[in-house]
Amino acid sequence: MSGQRAEFAERVAAGLGNGQMRISVPLTQDRLRSGRNRAAAELGNVEEWRDRASAIRMHTLENLDSYLEQLADNVRKNGGHIHFAPDGQSALAYVEQVIREKEAKSVVKSKSMVTEEIHLNNHLQKLGVEVVESDLGEYIIQLAGETPSHLIAPAIHKTRGDVAALFSKVANRHLSDRTEELCAFARDQLRRKFLSADVGISGCNFAVAESGSIVLVSNEGNARLTTTLPKVHIAIMGMERIVPAWNDLDVLLPMLTRSATGQKLSVYVTAITGPRRAEDADGPEEFHLIVLDNGRSDILGTAYQEVLKCIRCGACLNVCPVYRHIGGHAYGGVYSGPIGAVLTPLLEGYEEWKELPYASSLCGACTEVCPVKIPLHDLLIEHRKDEVEKGYAPFAESAAFRMFGYVTSHPSLYSFAVKLAHTGFGLFADGNVINNGPGPLAGWTAVRDLPRPARQSFRAWWQEREEGKA
Amino acid sequence: MTETHGQQAFLDRIARKLGRPRKSGVTPPVWNSPLRPDTERDVEDLIRQFTANLEALNTKVVQVTKSDFPAALSEVIERFAVKSAIYWHDPELVQLGLVQLLNNCQVQHAMCPHAEEGEGFRSVAAAADLGITTADLGVAETGTVVLFNGGQRGRVASLLPPHYLIVLHETRIVPSLAEVMTQIGRRAAEGLPACINLITGPSRTGDIEGDLAFGVHGPGQVQVILLRENPRNSQAASPV
Repeated sequence: MSGQRAEFAERVAAGLGNGQMRISVPLTQDRLRSGRNRAAAELGNVEEWRDRASAIRMHTLENLDSYLEQLADNVRKNGGHIHFAPDGQSALAYVEQVIREKEAKSVVKSKSMVTEEIHLNNHLQKLGVEVVESDLGEYIIQLAGETPSHLIAPAIHKTRGDVAALFSKVANRHLSDRTEELCAFARDQLRRKFLSADVGISGCNFAVAESGSIVLVSNEGNARLTTTLPKVHIAIMGMERIVPAWNDLDVLLPMLTRSATGQKLSVYVTAITGPRRAEDADGPEEFHLIVLDNGRSDILGTAYQEVLKCIRCGACLNVCPVYRHIGGHAYGGVYSGPIGAVLTPLLEGYEEWKELPYASSLCGACTEVCPVKIPLHDLLIEHRKDEVEKGYAPFAESAAFRMFGYVTSHPSLYSFAVKLAHTGFGLFADGNVINNGPGPLAGWTAVRDLPRPARQSFRAWWQEREEGKA
Repeated sequence: MTETHGQQAFLDRIARKLGRPRKSGVTPPVWNSPLRPDTERDVEDLIRQFTANLEALNTKVVQVTKSDFPAALSEVIERFAVKSAIYWHDPELVQLGLVQLLNNCQVQHAMCPHAEEGEGFRSVAAAADLGITTADLGVAETGTVVLFNGGQRGRVASLLPPHYLIVLHETRIVPSLAEVMTQIGRRAAEGLPACINLITGPSRTGDIEGDLAFGVHGPGQVQVILLRENPRNSQAASPV
């Protein structure tokens, strides 16, 4: 039994045993999911929107080299710099070079999963640079020394009491747990950081090839502050996060925000096209864009290519019965939920992440809700098949049973297994949009009844495990 | 030189993985079938939808003619207890006599400066109670306003102060995001401004136990004064 396996079992047990998570994760899921369902129903023809969004993403991936080249030409034309980074090391080296040239001492960041992927904060801190996360949720977990547990609600595992304690420590005085007071404190604290920071580092929701722009989506406005106040702006994007033209955003922006939070549009959508112009009153003097591969190109041309359509809305997390019970941290990687279970083994290999494709009941709810129609549960099945073919023992083996000895002693785990099926049904019950699609329960049964050994549902796998133990 | 070299290797690898030769200059497909129903809507419909969307987001929209602008502005200043304001250099605001009106209300004020005076302005902007801008477009479908920043149309006016006032002319309201994207796309050929913002209501967060809170980074309170041409269409400011 490898250490990684043990860690996975421990993480699952920790998630199941975390009382706060067991309360807050379902609440957040329900809030975001019902928002998404309402916003999807509002469109009237959400299936057509999904088809279009998917087609745009497919076309982009199939012509990715051309659009990235166009993006690079336009970024340079606008007076910006662009760096193509084959791996995290290359991206970190580029950021470091800019930081050194500018003799920068402090960095403010707006939310970026890709910087989590390359462990940027860690690297900057080693250089002696102060790094401050400015998204409220990210700021909270940075103070706690933790990692995000949800794509768009990174601190859902924290209570207001936790937040008050963390902020009181920074403030060096007692803060109440009232949301307004906590937000006011964060605003004041972070505003000072923004006004003095040397460099702003942002992610990128969409780059637009035809104009060399990057588009950032936020509700708080921290992405705007990050890209307005410091003298240097560095944006980092996964290489697939690009669209050919502005018209494509007419589809993808609403699909992102409606799927993520149920908003028709986020409060802020900010398009940055190069550094400030000579006549501009404000804005950074330098703009750098880093385009990161880091394992993505290896997914192109494979059965998994469609995972690169992902626009990081988190909708698949909000409908997942497994995520509901174990929470985001149990997945162990940067990306959690169904998308994480598909993506992480691709980016970082089976050796370390072979358990993740099994952290799914294969109920198909993720696939039904995905705004760009990634066949998530099919890809999880594909992973299970691939693992078997590549000689990774499936979980039915005795080693796996022993590993889960960690978990079996845990009382909540049994109820987890029992509840799983019911939860799956519950999740569909209010899905007024899902009802319009192909019957989800049919999908559930189809997958569960398939005889192929690799197509094993979480529950079936669990039962086998139980039998093996007896 | 090395930068371009790294780019070639990077793009070549993508082509190789896709199993085909390198591509350049691909033209995006035209997606023909429209996703939205084709319904004719007049300006009143658009204004109604725009207003309803913003009111659902805690944002008041008042409709006034030019002659009623001073009263509407005073009301905003009173409502937000404004002592200081920053604003865009914009012919529309000049025409409305903004500076004189702010003086009359005893509000300290500063205009977004020419580039070279930028530094000093930042601390003024950071301390101001209210930011005032016009908007290039309004979007009925979402309640969004679109701001093409640049020159003395500074980004900070809609960002740093805790309160934000948008002055929007009724003819600028378009039905949907589609028109916005088409306009931006059309301008892309000649080069876009360094920053375009789409703003939909006040800054908000749900990061503390999902509890909705306003103003964590950007303005927590936003109001729109919608300028109407025809006095018959205007209405007295109604409470939200």
